[in-house]
Amino acid sequence: MSVWSGRRRALTVLLFLLPTIIAVLIFNIYPTILNIYTSFTTRNKYKPNPDCSVALSGVLDPLCWPVFRDTAPVGLGEPYRIADPPFKNYTDLLGKLFAPPALISLGKMLVCLVPLIIANAVNKRFAKEVTPPLASGWVWLMAIISVVILGFVLDFFAALATLMETGDFLVVVLRTVMFVAIRVPLTFLVGLILALILNSQHLPGRTFFRVVLFIPWGASAVAILIALVWQFFFRDQGVINQLLLAVFNYKGPVWLNSPVWATVVIVLADIWFSYPFFMVSILGALQSVPNELYEAADVDGASPWQQLMGITLPLIRPAIVPALVLTSITAFQMFGTAFAITAGGPQLGADKPGATEYVMVYAYRQIYQVSNYGRATAFAVLIFIMLFLATLYSLRITKITKGAR
Amino acid sequence: MSRKPSVWMRILQYAVLIGFAIFAFYPVWFAILASGRLGDRLYTLNLAGMFFPTEWTFENYRVMLFERPFLTWLTNSLKVAVAATIFSLIISTSAAFALSRFRFRGREAFLILLLALSTFPGLLSLVAIAQLLTAVGLYGKHLGLILAYTTGTLVFCTWNLKGYFDTIPIDLEEAAMLDGCGPVEAFTLIALPLARPALAVTAILAFMGSWGDFVFAGVLVPAPDSLKLAVPALYSLANSISVPWGYFAAGAVIVVLPTLMVYLALQRYFESGLTVGGVKG
Repeated sequence: MSVWSGRRRALTVLLFLLPTIIAVLIFNIYPTILNIYTSFTTRNKYKPNPDCSVALSGVLDPLCWPVFRDTAPVGLGEPYRIADPPFKNYTDLLGKLFAPPALISLGKMLVCLVPLIIANAVNKRFAKEVTPPLASGWVWLMAIISVVILGFVLDFFAALATLMETGDFLVVVLRTVMFVAIRVPLTFLVGLILALILNSQHLPGRTFFRVVLFIPWGASAVAILIALVWQFFFRDQGVINQLLLAVFNYKGPVWLNSPVWATVVIVLADIWFSYPFFMVSILGALQSVPNELYEAADVDGASPWQQLMGITLPLIRPAIVPALVLTSITAFQMFGTAFAITAGGPQLGADKPGATEYVMVYAYRQIYQVSNYGRATAFAVLIFIMLFLATLYSLRITKITKGAR
Repeated sequence: MSRKPSVWMRILQYAVLIGFAIFAFYPVWFAILASGRLGDRLYTLNLAGMFFPTEWTFENYRVMLFERPFLTWLTNSLKVAVAATIFSLIISTSAAFALSRFRFRGREAFLILLLALSTFPGLLSLVAIAQLLTAVGLYGKHLGLILAYTTGTLVFCTWNLKGYFDTIPIDLEEAAMLDGCGPVEAFTLIALPLARPALAVTAILAFMGSWGDFVFAGVLVPAPDSLKLAVPALYSLANSISVPWGYFAAGAVIVVLPTLMVYLALQRYFESGLTVGGVKG
């Protein structure tokens, strides 16, 4: 549109964007800054209010702004101050991570993963050659064997235990990463199987199954309510235990009091919520695979398994990788399922995060139940940094930003 | 895969499908069953009662609707979600139009900034937002919640609508501009009416985002009962020992079933993968 230009044009663009810019500044950018500031203070339930004579508090805390000073609630306790030392909330969370034993453990764990990196590089190299000296499966197998051997030699689990002792942050993050590592591949598998079946032609009742299998996606809009139903299934006197008693005359365990079972239940419930997303996106990707390829493969006598590995998966890869990355990020941020089912429990000891206290559950409990705002915001800043890196990576992988051009 | 699969393959396929269909439907079905059963019978189910409505009463619904402030909670939720959706749409359509139609410096960076912001969970800035709302005097009030939701759904709406504006040919607007129509008229008279279907879908999805939220609603409006929203109120109902679980089930069914209907109605839309900025999983 070149009809109008110059200053008037810039003004128009600005007017169109202004509401969004203001909203983003007030509710996204400013809270982030305040958040970072709070993470260096001792603010908590008993010291909720600022000391406006401290320069930074006076500028950053809205309670100190002249407009709001009169209406702001007057705290009973003393005001919060800059923590002493300033990084105290961070050292509380990260604990002894930077002390020698933890660093050595971290180094050991990284060394254990080296074979996988080598295998990846070797395979990339081999992929360029017409006749690779070794099939990629064998390379991976060797890599995994050496990981196991290295793990035994360097005592991987002892190193992990040392790291887990360093403070809440690593415990919570590692547990969440483990949750993601279990949940996402399983969800993908379920979605893939269902999509492959639904994609086969001449399948009477396909529409019916498509609708029924889509239900959990809709339920995920009110995730916390349906997650409470899942919790009811696995209560001591819940549906599962009653079924076990009635059918097998077997007294089931108290599922949600066992760290392992509680995790399994949450993984199961979260798969329930999230498989339709994979199912739908794989189903969409399958539409673009031309049928002639399968016909040709049939003529060549390829088995269904070979067709899956050789045709289907490589061809739907471009659509699936973004879905995988995005799902991993959302799984990392999972809140409702775990909070409704276990609220982070079962407890593993006083002042320690519970067995299913994943990142968002921990953040929520620090804010709402412990009311330790200083530590909660420090935790938020650390997660912010992690998510920021993950997001940058995912933007590159998913190429969603091509819509920005 | 064009060839007809063998009989055994077919049986296996249907076994998997039926198994997962039960898996998919059972939690919802169970909530419906539980909502029609009196509280003290929930724990003494017979086997058949777990799968079929062997007994049915509307007692739970009656108590929820007439003896508990459930209708108030529902109204509060509706009010907040509708207001947030309207605000969010008003703000985001103009931005989406500008981002789709005008080329200016910093446009790409702005879009990426929005996208990056949307991937950060709101929970992480909750402390700061609560502090801000306290200062303004909106903590514990619906308006504060509405503002928080508006910005929460803003990014999603902007990206979604921008994607749709991109698909509308620019020719019409150019023709109008040649006839002396300004950019604002081009926006309100031409682009907006054309974008009506996308506006509707975006509105529904933004509404759902606020409607099902638990964290903000629970923290920013903690009390009193008359101001609570449906989802956090139902959550505390389910976890209080003194309240029969059947009451919760009845309330949950009233909230969940319409939500499911809306999503099933929008299924085609999800399958076409148009929700660029709002991919969930």
